[in-house]
Amino acid sequence: MADSEIPLVVRDLHKSFKDVSVLNGLSLEAHEGDVITLIGASGSGKSTFLRCMNLLEVPDAGDIIVHGEPVAFKQHNKTREPASWKQVERIRSRLAMVFQGFNLWAHMSLIGNVIEAPIHVLGVPRRQARERGMALLERVGLADRADYFPAQLSGGQQQRGAIARALAVDPEVLLFDEPTSALDPELVGDVLAVMRELADEGRTMVVVTHEMDFARDVSSQVIYLHEGRIEEAGAPADVLKKPNSPRLQQFLAPRF
Amino acid sequence: MEQWLTQVAPFLSDNLIFTPNTLAQYWDGLVNTVQLVFISLVVGLFLAVPLAVGRASRRVWLNVPIWLFNYVFRGTPLLIQLYIAYYGFAFIDGVQDSAFAFFINDPVYPALLAFTLNTAAYTTEIFVGAIRATPQGELEAARAYGMSAATAYRRVVLPSAFRRALPAYGNEVIFMLHASAIASAVTITDLTGAAYYVYARFYSPFPAFIFVALVYMLLSFVLQGGFKVLETRMLRHLKPA
Amino acid sequence: MFDFQGYGPRLLEGAWLTAELAVLSLIAALVIGLMVASAKSSRSMTLKSVATVYTTLIRGVPDLVMMMLLFYGGQIGMNMATDGLNAWLGTDMFINVNAFAAGVVTLGVIYGAYMSETFRGAFLAVDAGQMEAARAYGMSPWLAFRRVRFPLMMRHALPGINNNWLVLLKSTALVSIIGLSDMVYVADQATKATHQPFLFMLPVGLGYLAITAVSELVVTGLKRRFDVGFSQAT
Repeated sequence: MADSEIPLVVRDLHKSFKDVSVLNGLSLEAHEGDVITLIGASGSGKSTFLRCMNLLEVPDAGDIIVHGEPVAFKQHNKTREPASWKQVERIRSRLAMVFQGFNLWAHMSLIGNVIEAPIHVLGVPRRQARERGMALLERVGLADRADYFPAQLSGGQQQRGAIARALAVDPEVLLFDEPTSALDPELVGDVLAVMRELADEGRTMVVVTHEMDFARDVSSQVIYLHEGRIEEAGAPADVLKKPNSPRLQQFLAPRF
Repeated sequence: MEQWLTQVAPFLSDNLIFTPNTLAQYWDGLVNTVQLVFISLVVGLFLAVPLAVGRASRRVWLNVPIWLFNYVFRGTPLLIQLYIAYYGFAFIDGVQDSAFAFFINDPVYPALLAFTLNTAAYTTEIFVGAIRATPQGELEAARAYGMSAATAYRRVVLPSAFRRALPAYGNEVIFMLHASAIASAVTITDLTGAAYYVYARFYSPFPAFIFVALVYMLLSFVLQGGFKVLETRMLRHLKPA
Repeated sequence: MFDFQGYGPRLLEGAWLTAELAVLSLIAALVIGLMVASAKSSRSMTLKSVATVYTTLIRGVPDLVMMMLLFYGGQIGMNMATDGLNAWLGTDMFINVNAFAAGVVTLGVIYGAYMSETFRGAFLAVDAGQMEAARAYGMSPWLAFRRVRFPLMMRHALPGINNNWLVLLKSTALVSIIGLSDMVYVADQATKATHQPFLFMLPVGLGYLAITAVSELVVTGLKRRFDVGFSQAT
């Protein structure tokens, strides 16, 4: 299949911080409707990998190709930089990210958060953005909270709001960075339910998570990372049920 | 050293501005500035202690007038306060022949009065803030050991408040040094007055003012360093071991 | 109420000049402060050290000395510049340094240094995730600053800005020493002429307290504006 038909292709990413190399040649292809979960111990590089995909971290080497458009890089004082931040901004607006800490803008109401990027980045007319934003809040079950501020919402509500914000830019790929790790256990379910629905309707998603049930039930592909390398990857039925690598076996073993 | 001197000597002999005469002028200015600032700060500090205690008290007849005093002195320019002290007495009929004549004959006295009251107002507020920040537990402990309210205040509240107030007071001292530059507006030849004199005489603002700016900066850094040392000594107990 | 012996209109003009000077200097100081704070948090070592030297210099020198240097020196510097240009171009220009402009520039340059410290602290107080989300949604640096960093930062900066503003307001009195007719200058002239210091100095002092009171209202309004999303927390 040609790259131009694939929403997100990542090839051979390398990244180090100071002298510690965090990513050692990671690749991934997210086809239309794929749900790819990245699992691994903390420090395995899974969050950095995800953050490289929308250039929140700039990889030292490797390619990122969004619907056939490769991100251009240049060398600057021995460090690699995107050649055009304009291009990066455009690409970022097509890959929406949901953060572990929600990162809803604290000074804007929930609906304000949802319509911010459509209006100011994509240039959607305010009325249209608002209508669509309200529909999205309805979807995540927060229509009655539209005018609340983030600080007035529970963690689970904030994260569902953040998912509505992500959907509002009509992203080609949704990036989730441990979306349930900062939540109280009783709030995790609501957020996961919304994510399952999105997967069911065929959204392309890349999810960093510790939720093994979600990885098993929802994903089309599971990637297990260890020290910045892909230790094992494949369908959840293979990777999670019959792991080959001893490290993955140990990782999946019940803790108690 | 030798080499340095041979390089500097022609500069000194060539320049028309920094002659022994003008350097003496600057020196007198320095002495006047230091005297003014030092005396105002010391007297202001002594006034501020009782004022702060009164301002922190719950007695309205005590804390409201002090609040008003502070509000007025901190809310209006020191220059206005200086002019009021300077002209206010000079134009009273009969002062010239009274025992207060010394006060109007030398502008240093009105300047001292204005500066002292001004720094007293600022210092009072600094202390009040520090007194209010006293941990309740410290006071309770003092009372639990049988100290009277007054003793607890003297032995526990004030010493700990003074320590906490030190950084802010350090800023006030430097602020006062800089504010004292307006003394030149009432004909006192302080550092700034000396610089103005040199500027006016040679019509060369850059050497005149840059030199005096360096002197102020040096004084500021010395004061800052002094307070740093004092802080590390007196606030040692607040640092993690 | 008071008989200002004919100085009434000039006092009012002086008060207006004080207010104008204070507000324009405040704007200059805010702009300079933001730029210097950005320079301090930038990755360029050159920008950082220039900004640090600037704030250290300003904070070590009295306002009045700085003002005299820029005002008296500014004219001579300008003359030297125009002389040079004249010699080169064969023209005959002369630019008079306007005392009011010099006052605004001086106060802006001085209080810009203090503002930069306020802004730097406020920048650091904004949760990094807020800016990260802005970048992740494709905002350009300027858009992210305008829509996210600035409104969030202002909440933390407001008390410091208010403090600097109150000090700046009182510092405007210094321009009377370099001959600008603000209200202190008028009061000084009137006092010398009429020998009635209290009649002129006290109302001028009240004038400062009045400007402070008005600005207090503005600050309360702004505080409410920038507290949106924080004070209503349940």
